[in-house]
Amino acid sequence: MGRAAKRAPFPCIVFVFALAFCLAAPLYASAPLSARVSETTLSNGLKVILLENHKAPLVSFQVWYKVGSRNEAWGKTGLSHMLEHMMFKGTKNVGPGEFSRTIEQNGGDDNAFTSTDFTAYFENLSADRVSIPVDLESDRMGGLLLTEEQFKPERSVVMEERRLRTDDNPGAILVEQMNAAAFQVQPYHWPVIGWMQDIARYTVEDLKEHYRTYYCPANAVVLVVGDFKKETLLPLIERAFGPIPGGKAPDQQKDREEPQTGERRIAVRKEAQLATVAKAYHVPNLRERDGYALEVIEALLSAGESSRLTRLLVREKQLALTVSAQNDLLSRDPSLFTISAEVMPGKTSDEVEKALAAEIERLQRELVGPRELEKAKNQLESAFVYSQDSLFYQGMILATYEVVSTWKEIDRYVPGVRSVSAEDVRRAARKYLIPANCTTGILVPIPSTNGKPAQPASPSRENIVR
Amino acid sequence: MRRRFAYACLVVCSIAVFSGSAFCSPPVQRLVLDNGLVLLISEEHSLPFITFQFLVKAGSKDDPPGQEGLASLSASCLALGSAARTMEQIHEELDFMGAAISSGANKDYTAISLRVLTKDVGRAFPIVMDVLTRPIFPVADVKKEISRALGAIRSSEDQPGVVADRTFERALYGSGPYGHPTEGTTESVSKLNRELISAFHRTYYHPNNTILVIVGDVDDGLVKKDLRPLLEKWQRKAVPPWKGQAAPSGKGRALTIDKPVTQSNIVIGGTGMGRDNPDYYAAQVTNYIFGGGSLSSRLMADIRNKRGLAYSVESYFEAQKYAGSFQVLLQTKSASTNESISAVMEDANVMRSELVSPSEMEGAKKYLVGNFPQRFGGQSKIASFFGQVEYYGLGLGYPKEYPSLINSITRDDVLRVARTYLNPDGFITVVVSDLKAAQGK
Repeated sequence: MGRAAKRAPFPCIVFVFALAFCLAAPLYASAPLSARVSETTLSNGLKVILLENHKAPLVSFQVWYKVGSRNEAWGKTGLSHMLEHMMFKGTKNVGPGEFSRTIEQNGGDDNAFTSTDFTAYFENLSADRVSIPVDLESDRMGGLLLTEEQFKPERSVVMEERRLRTDDNPGAILVEQMNAAAFQVQPYHWPVIGWMQDIARYTVEDLKEHYRTYYCPANAVVLVVGDFKKETLLPLIERAFGPIPGGKAPDQQKDREEPQTGERRIAVRKEAQLATVAKAYHVPNLRERDGYALEVIEALLSAGESSRLTRLLVREKQLALTVSAQNDLLSRDPSLFTISAEVMPGKTSDEVEKALAAEIERLQRELVGPRELEKAKNQLESAFVYSQDSLFYQGMILATYEVVSTWKEIDRYVPGVRSVSAEDVRRAARKYLIPANCTTGILVPIPSTNGKPAQPASPSRENIVR
Repeated sequence: MRRRFAYACLVVCSIAVFSGSAFCSPPVQRLVLDNGLVLLISEEHSLPFITFQFLVKAGSKDDPPGQEGLASLSASCLALGSAARTMEQIHEELDFMGAAISSGANKDYTAISLRVLTKDVGRAFPIVMDVLTRPIFPVADVKKEISRALGAIRSSEDQPGVVADRTFERALYGSGPYGHPTEGTTESVSKLNRELISAFHRTYYHPNNTILVIVGDVDDGLVKKDLRPLLEKWQRKAVPPWKGQAAPSGKGRALTIDKPVTQSNIVIGGTGMGRDNPDYYAAQVTNYIFGGGSLSSRLMADIRNKRGLAYSVESYFEAQKYAGSFQVLLQTKSASTNESISAVMEDANVMRSELVSPSEMEGAKKYLVGNFPQRFGGQSKIASFFGQVEYYGLGLGYPKEYPSLINSITRDDVLRVARTYLNPDGFITVVVSDLKAAQGK
């Protein structure tokens, strides 16, 4: 716990595909959220979304750009994430590193993250310091420098990031390979962080072009949640961001995947302790009603210890160490419903795959009972309420809705889930969770090629011999 | 016997002005029940749910020798069944409410937490009390839990950072109470069983050894009607005093582990301090300047920004109840292993030989003091904050005192702390790496 409990040290998070856990659970309150959110569009096209929340004297200030790996070109994948790193490297007014130093000296935490659909920057700090990110964020929306001198070492940093997150993590390689197999046309094919060879290929000119095209007010959203008064804050934002030339909203139309025509299967052979089985199905997102039925299926399969997969595969049969189901509801283009399981030592991936198939067939065959359906909905709704606890997540979820659709859609989440019937669940399972629509990925462990420790490290040899 | 709350302390939202910035810590009430349970309650009613955190003062430091992993396994076996409910009933009922329960041990203590909608608390709280105070540890399910724990240990060996951390702690703390991983080892966990778990529970899970923090949509009425009667039924029992002897710290040396990875995972460090060490605050300032300040530290400026050697490089003092370590963590491609290690050592030597600049000092203080309110951003954070304040005996005035604890640190204090703890000659260096690539062979 000691280590896990520490503050995450990593600047620049890459969201490897979709938004996982927290977005399974957007926010909800007694009054619809739309009643408490205010939206203003400045004359240069910048959208400003404000949500007052006075429970603590804190604010979360966020700027979201509608650009992610889906906006990249083959051969330059990961460019959005590289640009995210460069946003901390200085403008003509603010030197390299000075952005974060200024935020820290005001007691704030700042960071950024990139996904398939967006690049987001945030500063969490005390409410009385809110003008500081207003100035700094508006400065780098207009005037990022992007020099060769700053770019070179930062590219090495991004390469280290890729090694850390992906190359030395067998599970991450499996996810990367599955996305590359499931998506052949759509840009979700390549990883957010980019292929290593592409990272080596970027130039400062590429970054400048990407910045010019996507980092304009017409393609951005400023979002603030916390302890402020709209009447005071909005004029500050207008004064700082208003003079930035609006630019042209870029073309966001991207090719969509054609319907999958049959089973796909991949394997990743890496040194690993345990095998992993994963299944990914193409599904609609929040733009279609079925998206909500798939939310319910996700909860039925893996929310809580009494969920179907956890109870059966993890507890009863002990086939899997962990299982999870994840529905990508909040995505700009249609995405995936993924089920994955780490295979217990002594069991085989075949056994796990058969057990998963049996549970999916059960969803397609039997109507879910009323109490179990109610349980799944209760879990989704309570997770939705809990997720409002942090100002940062409140902002993050609103902004994600805005980037993939509109923030107003958030009010549809709980009613959307509540309206799902047992028939809807069965129909969605029959329509989407079928072999012809599935990419199966298996992580196959291979024995280590490396030897014993060069030097006996400690009295407990088992800690070091592998 | 009269059963009443003793009102030991009541701290109301205190607004203080320090370093020009005002901050407000959440309100908290502290009560000690007749059975010895310390209850901390922090009310905040903007959302309709409550977070409970029980902190039982027994962690992996209390694992008997040869039974490493016992505290952790005991925590994960609690919900396998109780005197009143089967495991299936426990999970089914809590899941139906959308309640989230979790339990786990760290080195010092075990935390059991519950998050539940206010409307369901009257049904969820009795389940948690039942699980906490009357678990039955069914043999067959305990066996399954042991297999899972062994599987998790095995799976974690795929994480080079975890491998490096375990090796470092073993080298630093040896066979002492802090030297083994919280989850135990394959060898020790295979030998655990129902009787040992049950005995661990009987020894430590008592109200007089527990802190309960309740945060969120809770009020006196709810405490009186739904919570207090159950808490008061919990019987006080004697808890054995801590007898652990922290083993002498390991000597400086280099340890390497061969693994087919593209990066070297490096831990460099040595002896640190316990949480009650008076130099704790000077250490926080020192660490912020050296490697703790996320993007502004010296290590970050040198190793990430200047040399482009690592995505993440950071240092920290891990302060436990009875021991502590100082560590630098970084990951770099195999070929730059030696350059990175030398850079850390050089940077440490500079910290030891020169006073830090006045502006670095000011920056560190502004961050540490100004960032303090971020610890209150959400119910879980508040629960964990007050739990630790109580466990480490910091006193409820801690939020108010914190700015002056930090602001009183001088540049000489920083130099003294650096000379004591940032000592390259005494450092243990662990490298998990593809050794051929790292050595340029």
